[in-house]
Parts: sequence; C-alpha cells; structure tokens
Amino acid sequence: MTIRTTLTATVATAAIATAGAAFADGHSPMRIGITQNNVGVDSYQTTYEQAFIAAAEANDNVEVVVLDAGGDVARQIAQMEDLIQQEVDAIIIWPTNGEAVIPAVRKAAQADIPVVVTNSNIAEAGFDFVASFSGPDNITQGSRSAEIMCDRFKALGIENEAQVVQISGQPGYTTAIERAKGFEDRLPEVCPNVTLLETQPGDWNREKSQQVMEAFLVKYDDIDGVYAGDDNMGVGALNAANAAGRTEGITFVGATNFAVGYEAMERGEYWGSIYQSPVDDAEAALKTAIDLLNGEELPFLNYFDTPKITQDNMSEFTKPVF
Amino acid sequence: MQAGKMTPFIKTGAIWAFVVLELIFFSVAGEFLSLSDKAFMDLDNMLLLLKQSAPIGIIAMGMTIIMINGNIDLSVGAIFALAAVILLDSMSWAIFAGLGDWVIPVSWALALLTGVVLGAVNGLIVWKTGVDAFIVTLGSMLGFRGLVFMYNGENPTSELNWTLVDFAEAQFLGLHTATWFLAAVTLVIWYVMTKTVHGRNAYAIGNNREAAVNAGIRVGPHMMINFMIIGFLAALSAVVFYSESGSVNPNDGQLYELWVITAVVLGGTKLTGGAGSIVGTLGGVLAIQLLRKGLGHIGADTETVNLVIGLILIAVLFLDRQLNLKGKEELKT
Repeated sequence: MTIRTTLTATVATAAIATAGAAFADGHSPMRIGITQNNVGVDSYQTTYEQAFIAAAEANDNVEVVVLDAGGDVARQIAQMEDLIQQEVDAIIIWPTNGEAVIPAVRKAAQADIPVVVTNSNIAEAGFDFVASFSGPDNITQGSRSAEIMCDRFKALGIENEAQVVQISGQPGYTTAIERAKGFEDRLPEVCPNVTLLETQPGDWNREKSQQVMEAFLVKYDDIDGVYAGDDNMGVGALNAANAAGRTEGITFVGATNFAVGYEAMERGEYWGSIYQSPVDDAEAALKTAIDLLNGEELPFLNYFDTPKITQDNMSEFTKPVF
Repeated sequence: MQAGKMTPFIKTGAIWAFVVLELIFFSVAGEFLSLSDKAFMDLDNMLLLLKQSAPIGIIAMGMTIIMINGNIDLSVGAIFALAAVILLDSMSWAIFAGLGDWVIPVSWALALLTGVVLGAVNGLIVWKTGVDAFIVTLGSMLGFRGLVFMYNGENPTSELNWTLVDFAEAQFLGLHTATWFLAAVTLVIWYVMTKTVHGRNAYAIGNNREAAVNAGIRVGPHMMINFMIIGFLAALSAVVFYSESGSVNPNDGQLYELWVITAVVLGGTKLTGGAGSIVGTLGGVLAIQLLRKGLGHIGADTETVNLVIGLILIAVLFLDRQLNLKGKEELKT
C-alpha cells in the first residue's frame, strides 16, 4: 500500500511538473479482476474475453487481471481468493456454479471489494454480497419475442385466429423460467386473440426439441407459431416441421439468436429472434464495474440491451459466433 | 550404495528446488508485471497457497501409495464428485431433519463412507479379477461419473449451510481448515509409508510383485486396502472443499485424476512403481498450485499454465531417466 501511494504521488507530481496538464482525476488506474467460467468451451465465451480485454485496453483508467476458471469451481474460488489477496478495486465473476461461489463472493464483500456478477446471476442467497449484476434480461427477451411473433401475425393478417406452441428451456433454470414468463405475459397484451396451445420443455437440446415438435405436429392440425427458449431448440422444431412438410405458414421465433437460427433466417425458414452479443455483454460488465468504482448509483440488476432480429432487419447484425 | 541413496534424495530435492525457483521467479517477475502492490511471497498469499493446494493434495497422497504399488487410480475425480453429492444432499434428507447442525458430522461420515466403499469396489475388482488397475479404474471412472449424473441429472446439487462454511473458512493458528486437513493427511500417510510394515510392503510389491508374493505378502488384500485409502482421501478432499462451497456440479472433479497424477509424478514417484515419496508429492502439489497462482499473479493467460506444467512434466521425466541411467552406469563400472 505504501509503495503504491508513493508511486501515485510520484506519478502525480511528475505529471504536474512536466506538463501541468489536466490529469483526469488524479487517480491511479482502477484495477479490476475478472474470473470467467470456461473460455475455451464455446465461442460466446471466447468472444466475450476478447471484447473484454479490448474494452479494457481502450480505457487508460483501467487495468485488468483476466482469469479463467476452466469450468472448475475450485479454481474459480482460488482465483477469487487471489484477487482479494491482490487487493483489486473490483471483481467481476462469471459463475461456474451459481451457488458454489457464494461463500467466495461473501469473502470479497467482507474485504470491501465490490463484486459484479456477469452473464448469469448467482443464487439469491448470495445477493447480499453482490454490488450489481450485469447481463441480459431474460424477461425482456421473452416479451420481445412475443412482440416479434405478434407483429408477424399482424403482417400475415392472422392475429385473431393464430395458435402457437412453446418449447421452453430446461426446467428449474432461471433463464428458462424467465424467458417463458416474459413471452407468456406479453403475448396476450399485444395479441389478445392468439392462443398458446401448449408448452413443453426442450431442455436447451435440439434433438429433444425436434421430438417435442413432432408430437405437437401430430397433436395439432393448425400451428401458426412456434416460440423456443433459444434458437437451438427453435431450429430443432424447424427440422421437425421440415420433415413433416409443414414449415410453410409457421412463424418460428427464438429468445436468443444462435448461428443456426441466423442461417435458417437467411434461408427464409425461420422468422426472428433476440440478438444477444457477447461483445455487449463484456463491455456492459466492465462498464458496470467502472461506474460502481466511480460511485454511481446502479440498479442491482443492470441489464444490457438485447435487440430484436428478424428476417427484415437481420442485415444490420453480424452472424452470431455461437 | 552411495548412488542408490543419493538418487532418491536428488529426485525429491529436485522438486523442492523447483518450488523455490518458482517462488523466486514469481516474486521477481511479480514486482514488474503484477498489478498488485503486494509481494507474491506475502504471508497471507503463502497461507492461501497451502489452502488452495488441499483439494488436489489430499488425493495426491493416496495416489502416491497406489503408484508406489505399481497401480493407478483414474476414478478419483468421479469419487470426489459422488462423495460431494452425498455430502450436500444428505444434509437435507428428511430422516436427519431433527438433528439441526449435528447433521454435519453425519453427512461427513456418509460422504467418507461413500469414498471407502467405491475404493473397495475398485480394489476388489483389481484383486479378484487380476485385470490391470488402469483398465479397472478407467471403467469405474466412467461408471461412478454415470452415478453422479443419475443422481441429479445435469443439475447442481446444493446445500448452503453457513455454519459449515464458517467452519471451513476458519483459520486456526493462521492456517485454514483445509490446510490442517492436508497437513494431517500428509503426516499420517508419510508415517504409514516410512515407518510401518504396510508401507514397506507397498514398496516391495511395486518393485517386484513376484518376489513380494514369494516373501509371503498378501498382495491382493494389500492393494484393496490402498484403494480404500485413496477412496477415503478422495472423499475427504470433497468433504473439505464442498464444506466451503456448498454446491456441486455433476462434472466437478473432472480431470482431477490427471492433475493428481501429474503432481505425484512431478514429486518423483515412478509410474512403474517401487519408488516414490510423500514429501516429494507434497512438493509436486505445491509446484502445480504455485504455477497456477503465480501465472495469474503476473497476468499471464490462464491457458499458459497447462502448457508450462506439461513442459515441466516432460522435463522431469527426462531428468528422472537420465539420473537412472547414470545410476546404472555407475553400478557397471
């Protein structure tokens, strides 16, 4: 601590002596540590890391320690302990397990280091020890999907008789529950005469979703729309419809755009989804940490924007990397 | 005789020299590269090092005996995960509802028992079928992991008990709870391997199984006991670690077998059996954790850790071979 203070003093004096320029606010750079879930495992996380480092390098006021837990809870906890030990100013954590990291997050809170949880939140038992959560808002993703679906029905002129089915994510997952809730709450508001026939879980799995959709196609003769918790499941449903020769006339909408969904949109088979960018995710996490350190008041749930993407506006977006 | 006595000393000494080298390197490099004001060799940081070494370290002590035996156990990561699931799940079982916080020792006992039983299964198969331990434990690694997934699907098993967390985070005489467990296990296994008949038999069997059988050592039961010990230690490692974290993913502990074996080999234990030391293994464990910690400290990419450990492992084995060759040459002349 003393060395740092001396150093800061020296730097500050030097800056004043040499140029007398406005030295921002005289602070030494903020030191922010991040421990990520498992960078190598998918391209979302890889892109996230690159974007995070790039954003940090672009900001002279920030120095970052970038760590990756490799999916190992033990390593993530050790990394949390190391960051606390190094006395960083703030810690960003992408939890490997929303519950197992709570005691480690508590340790940081006890050391007066603000913790930002990024991408997926930790369990409620740990909320007291978290300064802010930065990530996508699953409820909004669900309700925007409902709007996409409704707008499409209106364009087709079937908003008064359309029937939809839903394929939800893995039961028990907050993400799955919230995306379903957002859709189910919003749809009757925008299209009150559209019927939600049935909801079945597809477990985030394409094959499972395909089977679910096969059953739906047998059971219901008239399906106008399919809402899926993400494009992976949506494309599974699309495959089932293709096999049954009933793709024509069905509007497929997902709650998170994946590369497979984007490609299906290019082919004109899949209508729309919600665009969630790992770059936005990473930049939002860093910004949340910086804002906290600057003493700004932030909402506990600090969401970044996830816009709608449909066949109409998809040219504005690059294909998702995941 | 001189050479024979010197070689193991050099080998165990080598890993400790390497540990010292790492400490010096990261201390110096940390001054220039680290964002932290604190020195790498800060006392708190060294205490953390010991604590963070515990999950791998406790299992590595058991693996040392197994490998001195000339066997190997690939199922430790799966046993670790299954014991953790039993530990955390049993705390909320209805039959223990009336116990209050006294459920903690009961759950610990259940988890440890799980480890011993799974280890006994491995040992019994190795003993009765005579199939190589590598194959047997490769099978049980997959099988035990399957049990973990059958238990709770892909979902994590969680039970956050703050009494337990506070106990696990406690520091007694400066050392963390996990460190005390690592120290106790190291001491006990060291005693067993150096001062008892069981330990001497382990070396004898690893050196020459035929000769050991002829000398009247009951090889089968001996190996089974060792597999039960490592099962117990894998479960103990889980108990120590999950007491502090309170939630287990079904794929937790994956690749632990490889980290453990790496630590043991770095510590100078021969894959072929018959030679190795507990003190060396402790050095190997610390060397790995130091690398992880140190590379993080100086801001290196996390991925470089694996690369560096891989290179060092090959270098150690090469060095080991050279030392052995030298020993043989000396005998000839």
